Amino acid sequence: MISRHKLGTYVLRFLVYALLILLLVITIVPIWLLIVNATRSTTEIQQGISILPSTHLLENYGILLGRGLDMPRGFANSLFLAVSSTVVTVYFSLLTAYGLVVYNLKGRRIFSNFVIVLVMIPMQLSIVGFYRFMSKLGLTDNYLALILPLIANASGVFFGKQYFESMLIQDLIDAARIDGASELGIFHRIIIPLAVPGAATMGIFAFVASWNNFFNPFILISSIQKYTLPMLVQTMRGDVYRTEYGAIYLGLAIAIVPIIVIYAFFSRFIVSGIALGAVKE
Amino acid sequence: MNIVKFRKNYTGYLFLAPFVIGFLIFGLYPVLNTIGLSFTNTTLMSSVSKFIWFDNFTKLFADNVFLRAVGNTWLIWLLNFIPQIGIAMLLSVLFTSARLKIKAIGVWRAIFFLPNLLMPAAVAALFSALFAYYGPTNQFMVRAGFLSEAMRYLENIWVTRGLVVFIQWWMWFGQTVIILMAGMTSIPVHLYEAAMVDGANTWQMFRRITVPLLRPILIFIFVTSLVGGMQMFDIPFLLTDGRGSPQSSIQTNNILMYMKFASSKGHIGAASSVGFLIFIMTSICALGIFYWLRERDMGDEKPHRRSLLKKNSARSQS
Repeated sequence: MISRHKLGTYVLRFLVYALLILLLVITIVPIWLLIVNATRSTTEIQQGISILPSTHLLENYGILLGRGLDMPRGFANSLFLAVSSTVVTVYFSLLTAYGLVVYNLKGRRIFSNFVIVLVMIPMQLSIVGFYRFMSKLGLTDNYLALILPLIANASGVFFGKQYFESMLIQDLIDAARIDGASELGIFHRIIIPLAVPGAATMGIFAFVASWNNFFNPFILISSIQKYTLPMLVQTMRGDVYRTEYGAIYLGLAIAIVPIIVIYAFFSRFIVSGIALGAVKE
Repeated sequence: MNIVKFRKNYTGYLFLAPFVIGFLIFGLYPVLNTIGLSFTNTTLMSSVSKFIWFDNFTKLFADNVFLRAVGNTWLIWLLNFIPQIGIAMLLSVLFTSARLKIKAIGVWRAIFFLPNLLMPAAVAALFSALFAYYGPTNQFMVRAGFLSEAMRYLENIWVTRGLVVFIQWWMWFGQTVIILMAGMTSIPVHLYEAAMVDGANTWQMFRRITVPLLRPILIFIFVTSLVGGMQMFDIPFLLTDGRGSPQSSIQTNNILMYMKFASSKGHIGAASSVGFLIFIMTSICALGIFYWLRERDMGDEKPHRRSLLKKNSARSQS
C-alpha cells in the first residue's frame, strides 16, 4: 500500500517536471530566438532557424544605424526618463505612505481606501483630456508630462504603505522627536535610509514600468530626437525595415536585454516585491 | 503638549499634500477634461468647438465599430485570463505540495515570470516577426511537415486573436503564480493538518480551505487583470498594422480611441467619448467585482457584520 502511494508520487513528480520543462521551453524560446537572430544576417535568418548565435551582430548594428534610426539616442532618452521617473515615484510614494502610516490623521482610512480605488481605475483612458491639458500648458513633447504625474502614483503609495506597516517604526520616530528632530528631517535622515530595501524594490518596478511604457510617450512626444525605445520599436515596424530582419531583431533585443540583465541581478528582490504588493506578511 | 500634537498632525497633512495636489492636477482634472471634451466636437485642427450634447455617443452606437471593439477586448481578456488563472493555480498547488517536494521552485518561478518584465511593444514586434510569412514559424512548420505550405498567420482572424491571447498569457501567468503562492504559503498549516485528521482528501482541502482563504487574493488578481485587459494597447497595436487587422479582429477599446485621436482630423471629442465610456464600464466592473465578492463571504449574522467587514477589508487590502 505504501509502495503504491510512493510509486504514484514518482509518476506524478515525473509528469510535473515534464509540464515544467514544457512551460520553460515556451517561456524561453521566443526570447532566445530574438537574441540569436539579432546576431545573424538576414540571409541566414531566411535560410532557417538556428539555436546558436552567429557573427553578424556588428553588421546588423551598422544597418540599424544606417537607416536613420538613432538607437543610442533612444536608449539614452529611455534611460533618462526611466531614472527620473524612478526617483520621483519612489520619493513621493514613500512620502505619502509615511504620512499615512505614521500620523493618526483624520480620514486616513478613507484616504487609504481611495488609493486602492485609484489602483483599480483605468487612468490611461483619460489620456485625451490629459493630452489637451498638457498642450494648453505647453508641456506636450516634454518629458515633464510623463514624469510629473508620478507624484501621485497610487500603486507606489499602496506598496509603500504595505512596506512601512511591516517595518514597525513608531518607537524610532518617537525617539527622534525627543531628540528634537523635525518631522521632515526624521523622514529624510532616518526613514529613507532605513527604507532602502523597499525603495529599491519599488524603484525597480518604477524603472521597468517607465522603460516599457509605450502608450503615453507615443501620444505625448512628437519630435524624433525625443523618441524613447518603444517608440523606435514602433518606427522599426515601418516598411523600410521589412527586409532587414537581422537589424529588426537587434533593435528589439536592445530594448529587451537591459531588463533581462537587471532581472538576472535582482530577481529575488523583484519576486518578493510582487508578493508584497499583493499580500500582507 | 497640544501645540506639539497640532504641529505633528499639521505636518502629517503636509506629507499627503504633494499626492493630493498631484492627483487633482494630473489625475482628476484630465478625467473631468475628457468627460467635458466628449460632449464637444473639438478637433486638433480647429480652435473653435461647440457643445453637441450626446452626438459623439449616438455616433458611436450608430454602427457596430465601437461595440465590436468592446467585444474584442472582452473576448481577448477572457480567453487569456481563464487559462492564466488555471495554470497558475495548478502550478502554485504543485509548487507548495508537501508530497511532491518539487526542486528549485525559486528558479522555475523566476524564469516563468521573466516575460512579464519585457517591453510589450518589443514583444509584439517580436511575435509579428516570428509569425511573418517568411518568419521562423513557417520555416519550422513547413520543414517539420506540420503544414504543407507556408501560411499567412496574421491574416487569419482566429490565429491572430489566438496570438494576442497567447502573448498576454505568456506575459502574465508567472506573475499570477508568484501572487497565488504568496497567498497559499500564508495559510496556516494546522488547518490542513486538522482536515487530514478528519479524513479530507486533497481536492476537498483545496476546495474548502485553499480557495476560500485565497479569496481576497483571487479578487486582487481578477480586478487588476481586468483593468489591465480593458486598456490593452501595445500588443494588438504592434502585432499587425496598428488598426487591429485582420478585419479589425484585434481592434481593442484603446486602439479605437487612438484611431479617433490620430485620424486625419484629430477628432479628440470623439476619442474622448470612447475613453469616457470604457472608463465607466471598466470602473464599474472592477469596483463592482471588488465590493460584491468581498461582501459575499460575510454571512447573515448582522450583529457581527461590522467587525467582519473590518477584518475582511483589512485582508483584502493586503
